[in-house]
Amino acid sequence: MSDLARGNIPIKSENDIVAARRVVRDLATQLCFGVTDVTRVITAASELARNVFLYVGAGVMWWSILDRSGEVGLELTFEDHGAGIPDVEQAMTPGYSTSRGLGLGLPGVKRLMDEMEIHTEVGKGTTVRVRKWLRK
Amino acid sequence: MANRSKLSGTAALEDIEGVASQAYLASIVECSDDAIYGKTLDGTILSWNRGAERIYGYSAAEMVGRPVSVLVPPNKPDEVPAILEKVKRGERVSHFETTRVRKDGEVIDLSLNVSPIRDASGQIIGASTTARDITEQKRMREALAERAKEILDVSTPVLQVWEGVVVAPFIGTLDTQRAQQFMERLLDKIVQTNSAVALLDVTGVPAIDTRTAQHLIETITSVRLLGAQAILTGVRPAIAQTLAHLGINLADVVTRSSLAAGLRVALDILNLKIITQEDQAKGAHSL
Amino acid sequence: MTNQNISLVKVRNTLLVTMPADPDDVTVTTLQEEVLGAMEEYRPKGLVLDISAVETLDSFFARTITETSRMVTMMGGQTVIAGMRPSVAITATQLGLTMVGTFTALTVDRALDLLTHLHPRRRIR
Repeated sequence: MSDLARGNIPIKSENDIVAARRVVRDLATQLCFGVTDVTRVITAASELARNVFLYVGAGVMWWSILDRSGEVGLELTFEDHGAGIPDVEQAMTPGYSTSRGLGLGLPGVKRLMDEMEIHTEVGKGTTVRVRKWLRK
Repeated sequence: MANRSKLSGTAALEDIEGVASQAYLASIVECSDDAIYGKTLDGTILSWNRGAERIYGYSAAEMVGRPVSVLVPPNKPDEVPAILEKVKRGERVSHFETTRVRKDGEVIDLSLNVSPIRDASGQIIGASTTARDITEQKRMREALAERAKEILDVSTPVLQVWEGVVVAPFIGTLDTQRAQQFMERLLDKIVQTNSAVALLDVTGVPAIDTRTAQHLIETITSVRLLGAQAILTGVRPAIAQTLAHLGINLADVVTRSSLAAGLRVALDILNLKIITQEDQAKGAHSL
Repeated sequence: MTNQNISLVKVRNTLLVTMPADPDDVTVTTLQEEVLGAMEEYRPKGLVLDISAVETLDSFFARTITETSRMVTMMGGQTVIAGMRPSVAITATQLGLTMVGTFTALTVDRALDLLTHLHPRRRIR
């Protein structure tokens, strides 16, 4: 699997959530994803960027265009140095929400994307990586 | 040895068949489009009809007295011995699909029926083969299968059956990609036809597993978000039971056991001018 | 900077609010404020939220809509979401946003028809 292009945008304000959506829309559209897939990827990015801003306040979204034996994909990585997710399994259970009643929306994001990986360490931070592959 | 006619090759039958009238047999064998040929238990051809001449390209004169193995493609050396073994045991070989080689080298697809030939005392003395050329048939079968796959690939039809009503047969065995395409097509059709009602017919769904159920619920929910009323039709007790077991609550989904009943509900909805709060409570949340 | 303007008009004793294509958080929040203000002033029988231009409906937007809808209901009205795009409907469903408590309509036209025929006072609690 190789990287054809990559970039990043900082997430430190509400405007950055919109910026993340715009970047992802441009990328997904250029990669010729279908309209519903474009919507899925943008929505997933919006959710994950919002998590970073809402719970940590600052972070970064990395994007890369991947090539896996001829298959093209879009990978988004949301990285923060926040408190980390204490119980990822619980966070991944549909219906789970934090005390603020908002939740991370991770099960929904997983449903929208093809692949999702979460690396988190309490006190250190969290990295959420999602991928969507172009369907033939 | 038998008197071999150069013209038809059926003269050899005189030696073999004692029971039926030769003329009768000759007429059947000659008129048939199928290749019919008789051979000894070691595979030597004794008779060769006009159908065989046409199908294989060899004349009777060329084939009588020669081993049947000249017709067999090189990659199937054990086939004829295996068939003859069965015949020796008194068994028949029916509808055996295989390939043979014509005189001009062309490989053809055939369906073979081989049966034992018995003499007057009932002893097996040879084998009679009827071969039908199925090359064309096979080609058509493959084309049909390809076409059927194409049809399934390209579209599960979403039909507008009335002004404001679309019907989509729900196919449970779709993979994820096709399931997504189905949803997109259905929703696009609803928007395109400005329909108020979408009938999702599950009559043709043999079984509901978790994935199918999820796809079904997603489809219903998406239709409602769009602004149309989804009606599930063709729900048989078995399906309802499975959905209940999967923990899916159909209480807020309008369901009917038949497509016809669903259509009636659809037409009612379209004619309805006033929607009462009672109806809303029952789930008619959109117009 | 793309259009972030919400259009709000009073039509047939109904509030018709049209959302822009990709509203930022401030715009989404403004939606709620403007609707509440207009409900106060006009006491319409309902709110039609036209999202036919909207390309992305995330959980924040959805939550704001359902909250607004609840407030409209408390003030004696009904909310109808009109014109959701197929791609948005599918994505929202898969993300788990069901928009409970709101009505939906294919078009603004149908939404207005729906509201015209509802009788809020006969609401069942």
